Amino acid sequence: MAKYLAKRIFYIILTLFIVTTVTFFLMKFMPGTPLTNQAKLSPSQIHQIYKQYGLDKPLWQQYLSYLAGVVHGNFGTSFQFSDQPVSYLIGSRLGPSLTIGGEAMVVGVIIGIIVGSIGAVKQDTWVDTATTIISILGVSIPSFVLAVLLQYYLGLKLRLFPIADWGGFMYTVLPTLALAASPFAETARFMRTEMVDVLSSDYIELAKAKGLNKVGIIYHHALRNSLIPIVTIVGPLAVNIMTGSMVVENIFSIPGIGEQFVKSILTNDYPTIMGLAIVYCAMLCVVLLITDILYGLIDPRIRINK
Amino acid sequence: MKLSSFAKLGGVALLSALVLAGCGSKSSQSGSSKQELTWQESSNLPTMDLSKATDIVSAETLNATNEGLLKMSTKAKVVPGVAKNYTVSKDGKTWTFNLRHSKWSDGTPVTAKDFVYSWQRTLAPKTASQYAYIFDHIKNATKYNTGKASASSLGVKADGNYKLVVTLSKPQSYFKYLVANAQFFPQKQSAVKKFGSKYGTQSKYMVYNGPFKLTGWSGTNDSWTMVKNSNYWNKKNIKLDKMKIQVSKDPSTTLNQYNTDKLDVATLTGSQQVSHYKNNKDYKSFLNASTFYLEMNQKKDPVLRNINIRKAISLAINRKQLTNKVLADGSVPARGLVAAKMAYRNGKDYADQAEVKAADSQNLAQAKKLWAKGLKETGKKTVALNLLSDDTPAGKNTTEFIQSQLTKLPGLKITNQNLPFKTRLQRSQDGNFDLVISAWIADFPDPISFLSLFTSDNSYNNGKWKSTEYDNLIKNAEGRDALNAGKRWDDMVQAQKVLMNDQGIVPLYQQSTPKLIKSNVKGIQFFPTSPEWDWSKVSIK
Amino acid sequence: MADNSKSFSTGDFLPLSDADRSHLDSEKITAPSQTFLQDSWRRLRHNKAAMICLVILIILFILSFGSHFFQTHNPNATNPDLANLPPKIPGLDINGFNGTLMQSGERINAYAQAHAHAGTYYILGTDYLGRDLFSRILFGTRISLTIALVASFFDLAFGVVYGIISGWLGGWVDTLMQRIIEIILSIPNLVVMVLLIVVLKPGMSAIIIAIAITSWINMARLVRAQTLELKNQEFILAARTLGESSFKIAFKHLLPNLSSVIIINLMFTIPTAIFFEAFLSYIGIGVSAPQASLGTLISDGQKNFQFLPYQMWYPAIVLSIIMIAFNILGDGLRDAFDPKSNRK
Repeated sequence: MAKYLAKRIFYIILTLFIVTTVTFFLMKFMPGTPLTNQAKLSPSQIHQIYKQYGLDKPLWQQYLSYLAGVVHGNFGTSFQFSDQPVSYLIGSRLGPSLTIGGEAMVVGVIIGIIVGSIGAVKQDTWVDTATTIISILGVSIPSFVLAVLLQYYLGLKLRLFPIADWGGFMYTVLPTLALAASPFAETARFMRTEMVDVLSSDYIELAKAKGLNKVGIIYHHALRNSLIPIVTIVGPLAVNIMTGSMVVENIFSIPGIGEQFVKSILTNDYPTIMGLAIVYCAMLCVVLLITDILYGLIDPRIRINK
Repeated sequence: MKLSSFAKLGGVALLSALVLAGCGSKSSQSGSSKQELTWQESSNLPTMDLSKATDIVSAETLNATNEGLLKMSTKAKVVPGVAKNYTVSKDGKTWTFNLRHSKWSDGTPVTAKDFVYSWQRTLAPKTASQYAYIFDHIKNATKYNTGKASASSLGVKADGNYKLVVTLSKPQSYFKYLVANAQFFPQKQSAVKKFGSKYGTQSKYMVYNGPFKLTGWSGTNDSWTMVKNSNYWNKKNIKLDKMKIQVSKDPSTTLNQYNTDKLDVATLTGSQQVSHYKNNKDYKSFLNASTFYLEMNQKKDPVLRNINIRKAISLAINRKQLTNKVLADGSVPARGLVAAKMAYRNGKDYADQAEVKAADSQNLAQAKKLWAKGLKETGKKTVALNLLSDDTPAGKNTTEFIQSQLTKLPGLKITNQNLPFKTRLQRSQDGNFDLVISAWIADFPDPISFLSLFTSDNSYNNGKWKSTEYDNLIKNAEGRDALNAGKRWDDMVQAQKVLMNDQGIVPLYQQSTPKLIKSNVKGIQFFPTSPEWDWSKVSIK
Repeated sequence: MADNSKSFSTGDFLPLSDADRSHLDSEKITAPSQTFLQDSWRRLRHNKAAMICLVILIILFILSFGSHFFQTHNPNATNPDLANLPPKIPGLDINGFNGTLMQSGERINAYAQAHAHAGTYYILGTDYLGRDLFSRILFGTRISLTIALVASFFDLAFGVVYGIISGWLGGWVDTLMQRIIEIILSIPNLVVMVLLIVVLKPGMSAIIIAIAITSWINMARLVRAQTLELKNQEFILAARTLGESSFKIAFKHLLPNLSSVIIINLMFTIPTAIFFEAFLSYIGIGVSAPQASLGTLISDGQKNFQFLPYQMWYPAIVLSIIMIAFNILGDGLRDAFDPKSNRK
């Protein structure tokens, strides 16, 4: 286990190193500068500002100091927020993103499991068809369309939930729903497939033959065994939520990092783009690591320390 | 991995969502007498360090929470701020400000030294301020900024605690506007030292001497509050107790928030919102000191040196259609280079006095006639030009429209090129274009902030239009007539007429900010130049 | 041995009589022999939902790629005087399709108000610059489907080849190639796309490159796993023993057996790629104006959703239909290729 962990952590560090390096050099090819009103500046003033940002040094020197900074959790200073460290910018806006992301993941996966199992149990009935249609719609309607519709109908027309802003549980409901659609649908589809397989397996037949009641079989045997593989799709689902949050946060005015990522792209705020790219990557690595470890713990067939 | 706990969790989440849904729609509308305002911004507040601020949100927040020697007022007037009064020497080079006894939010007095320190800090090479250029008329400012002179040589001195003496290198009649800008506000040295690199990055790392104090701003969050400053010298005239600022970037969301009374003031974005609310009683449009115009590269293209060709290009463009149908964001046709409703003398708008109708209106028949004449004079049959602009939606829509308008001139082929702002700027300055849509935002409400762009040697004169008469008029306005307001005004009026009569540029449109304002909100002040918004006179009726 | 030898005479062998033949025929399998693909196709044909989706996709392909013949107006021609007109279909007088519009509580004829010539029809209305929404949606669909083709191409050209090489060669090559995949997998593909697009300038080519870089990973993994499994099967061993070149084995033996994995995975790559294009265009770093993509159309429509809901509904519906169609078709194909599964 320890050896496995060490190996995985080594790969995570390697991945982050590659991402940092590639991002750094990609960004250096960009024509961007920290200047917001370049039009009115003289060349000597521009040089002055470059010096301030350390942009006058040779590239390799900039790279090394950036790398050293990243190791210490320092991603440089944002171009948009002058004097604001990127690490502070990300840290102070990470909370809301994690909140709605986490809520969406929990809500989506739980409802997905319920809907998926119902579909499998009621296989080939209208219930199955209905659940299949719902889950297909869930993967097919983009979160940015869903967010607008939810805001307009549930927020503006029915006034059930706040239209936008941040502050308390009520404010998280609509963005969570918009984000949860994709994990819900993926889980439901995956769950149904798994459960159908399990339900037709020998040990379920045996349980039936033994005369156990149906609810007991589904609950004790089928559900538990179908749940295990769900862990494997958590990683991809996390990626979906990260993507969705970029638009959903903007539409619901949530002070999160997804919205800030888009903003920094549109304003050429390279230090923030780089910082967020690394943070997103680190988050995914951690999610993948946790799910792999969980998988090993849950499923005795998988031996993690091989 | 017990299913029961899963199921319970899900059930609880669902239930609580439903239960809480019932109490979600409580209205935030407060009693009518409460002096509170909720204001929407489209972007974040990046900094409160006035030496580093470059954007409009910073400028207006600094203006609300701090105060300079003078304060901007409507119709291009200034009113006393920290300075009770000021005198200007005969040669126009020495400005003496007499300061009132006022306090910082921590109770300590605001002194002339705070101004000296602030200006020195902004100009210090280490600070790398992007607005250092605005100090360029102050003695030794440019030298100090580039490290060629010491801070003590700078032309700003404190004479005791309450007298500030500013020495300019040459007369600058509009210096009164500059000192009302955030860059010229005081900064408290002990506070800057105390907060170090955190200074101005959060509301708690600042001291304030203006009508309001900033609270609840973490440096990166999307909403913050300004409360009345009990140490402000003029606090009895400040009616607003509290102001909440909410960042809302999505235009639809913003409008929904306004319509459900979560916002008292909201910016409208895009043609549909504007056209839908144009006749609403809450709708107000505010003209910015920002003009968009077409520059024609006379250095690269000999054909553009022909005045008839230039005039034909201008006459072919229907500006009304551009602003009403294409942009439809409240913008208006430009009536020259200098923005309208910005600069006044004796109550008269510069734009009215200096307009040359023939250079900013459409007449396709006349355009074709002049075009044919121009082609004949230059010996050409066809002309192919590229049209450079930004890659923003507005930039693209404008180029598409101008392209469709100009191709009505027989034999003219236009290729559009939409590039990111910084690339566009570089290309313009390198002269690597035929036609470019440029924009200028004035820093202060004086026509010279626009007019100085088109002197022969100015680096922003991308089209390289040249006129000795124009150069002389600008030189006079900045030199010989600098102390004679009337003559200076006439020079500037004449200058724009020269530029327009020769069609040195093709004026296109002037930007505006359309807003919805609840009818019980009174007294919002708007200035076409920075800081744009002032809330010190706002009251809720 | 010699004792057993017998010489044959011509009389020892007689041609089959008709009776004998008919006797033999009765043992013949009545159904014609079918290849795996033919068999799958037969099963797919019985899946009604999947067939409907296939037909819808074919129709969308024809409409969008032949849009020169179908589009009612030039998709990029602006006509500011006729901006924001609601849908109007000749001869259909139902609110929503007759060119009328609710404005301040009153139903008005938007076409008359804009002084449009009689006989001016925009069947899905116009956008804020007076461009025909129907033609723009067709154009946007074309971009979405182009992205689908591009993603499939890279899936096949890169993912499949990568997977086969990795699985076939095994050893350190496989380990190295798998490590590369693992690293790419732990970078969110959105981050890769955004970085590339920021560097390459937003546009169709940037999106294509971004999708090319990110889309093939899953394919490569699945193909590798399948190759590993097939590699040790007898028919491959036989081919190897007979001295066939690896290249020939890959083409003649591996590929046909990989086809089901490839086709199924393809059907799940495509909607993801389409979604990403729409997403990137929606947030403003995808296809750039004046070109229309379903993402930019939805983004434009979203701004006017309160006033002119049709401007968002139509592109959103088309995008959703494309996604639904690919998803259902993908499900159908998976079931068709996997006879074990008893999903309908």
